[in-house]
Amino acid sequence: MAETRLQESNKERKKVGISNTLMLFIVLVIMIAFFGITSQIKFGQQFFFSILNIIPMLSNISYIGIIACILTMLLITGEMDFSIGGNIGLTSCLAALLLSKGINGVLVVLICLAVGILMGVFNGFIVTRLGVNSIIATIGTMSIWRGIGYTLSNGESMLAFNPVIDYLGRGTIFKYIPFPIILFIIVIILTYIIMNRSKIGRRIYAIGVNPMASYLSGTNVKGIKFLLFIFCGAAASLGGLILTSLSAVGMPQHGQGLELTVVSAVILGGTALSGGKGQILGTLAGVLILSILYNGLTMLNIMYFYIQIIRGIVLILVVATYEIRQSRALRRV
Amino acid sequence: MNNLEAKNSKGKNLSKKFLGLFTQTKTPTPSLIILYIIMAVIFAVSNDNFLTIVNFKGIFNNFAVYGIMAAGITIVMIAGGFDLSIGSIAGLVGIVSAVLLMREGFIPTPLVVIIALVMGCVMGLINGLIITKVGINPIITTLGTLATIRGICYFWAKLNPRIYNDFIEGLGRKFLGNVIPYTTIYIVVIFVILSLILKFTRFGRDIYTIGGNESLARLAGIKVDRIKIITYVISGLFAAFAGLVLISQLGSGRPEYGDGAELEVLTIVVLGGVAVGGGKGNFLGVFIALLIIGSISNGMVMMDVPVYLRMVVKGALLVFAISLDAIRNRRRLQLY
Repeated sequence: MAETRLQESNKERKKVGISNTLMLFIVLVIMIAFFGITSQIKFGQQFFFSILNIIPMLSNISYIGIIACILTMLLITGEMDFSIGGNIGLTSCLAALLLSKGINGVLVVLICLAVGILMGVFNGFIVTRLGVNSIIATIGTMSIWRGIGYTLSNGESMLAFNPVIDYLGRGTIFKYIPFPIILFIIVIILTYIIMNRSKIGRRIYAIGVNPMASYLSGTNVKGIKFLLFIFCGAAASLGGLILTSLSAVGMPQHGQGLELTVVSAVILGGTALSGGKGQILGTLAGVLILSILYNGLTMLNIMYFYIQIIRGIVLILVVATYEIRQSRALRRV
Repeated sequence: MNNLEAKNSKGKNLSKKFLGLFTQTKTPTPSLIILYIIMAVIFAVSNDNFLTIVNFKGIFNNFAVYGIMAAGITIVMIAGGFDLSIGSIAGLVGIVSAVLLMREGFIPTPLVVIIALVMGCVMGLINGLIITKVGINPIITTLGTLATIRGICYFWAKLNPRIYNDFIEGLGRKFLGNVIPYTTIYIVVIFVILSLILKFTRFGRDIYTIGGNESLARLAGIKVDRIKIITYVISGLFAAFAGLVLISQLGSGRPEYGDGAELEVLTIVVLGGVAVGGGKGNFLGVFIALLIIGSISNGMVMMDVPVYLRMVVKGALLVFAISLDAIRNRRRLQLY
């Protein structure tokens, strides 16, 4: 009797066992297969899997992905950074402005990253030291950064040509692999190790679940949050530099609305806004799903506003699925 | 533990000294009034035309749409919710009613107004149902509906309808006795009625209770889900009305109308002292915040501040307002 019950519970556990991340990757594979087949049928040749499509798509994914991975860590602590879009606008204007003054490319990259870190420090200070709600605070700083970007460039777009900047977004390694992808992979590996194999990663999860308990057990909660805001600022600056390089132009409108795309990708990947839950691999899947969905639907000649509708619905559906799965799992216990 | 408290109270004293006046008041409204008076003096000194009736007519008319939206989002935020989809709702309602009005006399005007308001309510209801019954975070839900509804707006992108209807034209442009804009009357009436509801009805008190402590409200027998859904319906309703005023003032229907309005409205509401977590806020504060934001936009134009710098000032103002709010409401033990 007891054994059968044990077996039954094992069976049930197996039913629950497929993780959200695995589910996302299955969805991703189905989606890729769907777009591959439809492009074969529609155009009579394989366009979706051609190098002409895949290389630009991967470059575009990478700058979104770099920011998304870092933002996942911040979201797990229960904080949020909406200012990434404004940060990208400021960085790209600053880079173009400095390049037009004839400053060395490497120096420009370093200055931009330093300014990104400064923006992170500002966000971190307001949120952790003054105790402001991070969503509202970063909505405010978003418009400050973008306004400074507009002021720097006077509302115009400026060409940004420089061997170093060019290489950052459009350089390739082994002739085919774009350089930003390498950066993205490095960021994924680093963040994965931090979140899954290190002490500080455990602490980040603990802060998200119960900040009071982790404070009492000796974790420097404010310090870790501050550090993550700084990382976020630096990552957004790096993303801004890659975007500037990809478009070869610095303009204040760069990254407008990007914060919503990145946050959608992170949330799609199973990170909870309330903190304490989320995986780097889930975020990777979320970024890939949103970007490939956009790419594939554009390829099928579907208009932009339909894509917007589909993205909104996908976000709500996936998050609803998480909620339903979670409440079911809770009921089983 | 004593050490910690001592450390914290020391920090509090410092901030008290630093902000003086602001921290000693419990509600932000008095400090907002003082802030507004200081601002008005600065603007009036720098430009003779600031303190004129014509200018104030302009300020009120320009910010009518945001004011009407702020009424709805205030109710939602006091109940601990969040609604980012108001800009999109206003856009969709605006363009649909403009399309319905395109052929004159085809659909009677009152019916169009009713359709518009019902549409707003239905979209609010959808938000509310997803948030309460499925249990998704309100920010994510309304972020999703923001994108979805804005996408639907573009179905009519090619039509570009103009408004020739007298009633709709008058809605946001006419003046009572050539002095008071109709829009000001709407805002005052809406704010007064909603404040009375919040103060003197059971529904209003329940909203504060839910915002203050939801699980407690549930235990006290308040029908939390139902009241939360009603707050989102109210927010949708006012967003729809704002959409009508918007097409009236602009004279046409375009799919991008109301884009980004949610941030402006959020700035106003937070500056007005509505707590982000819920449970706190009143309409007098929101009204003064509306005046402040409107006057700053207006005053910066008068002082000839470069257009891009205005964006920085607005963002800085939001950060300043929310920091003030945070310092004022700092809990005794805020260690993490």
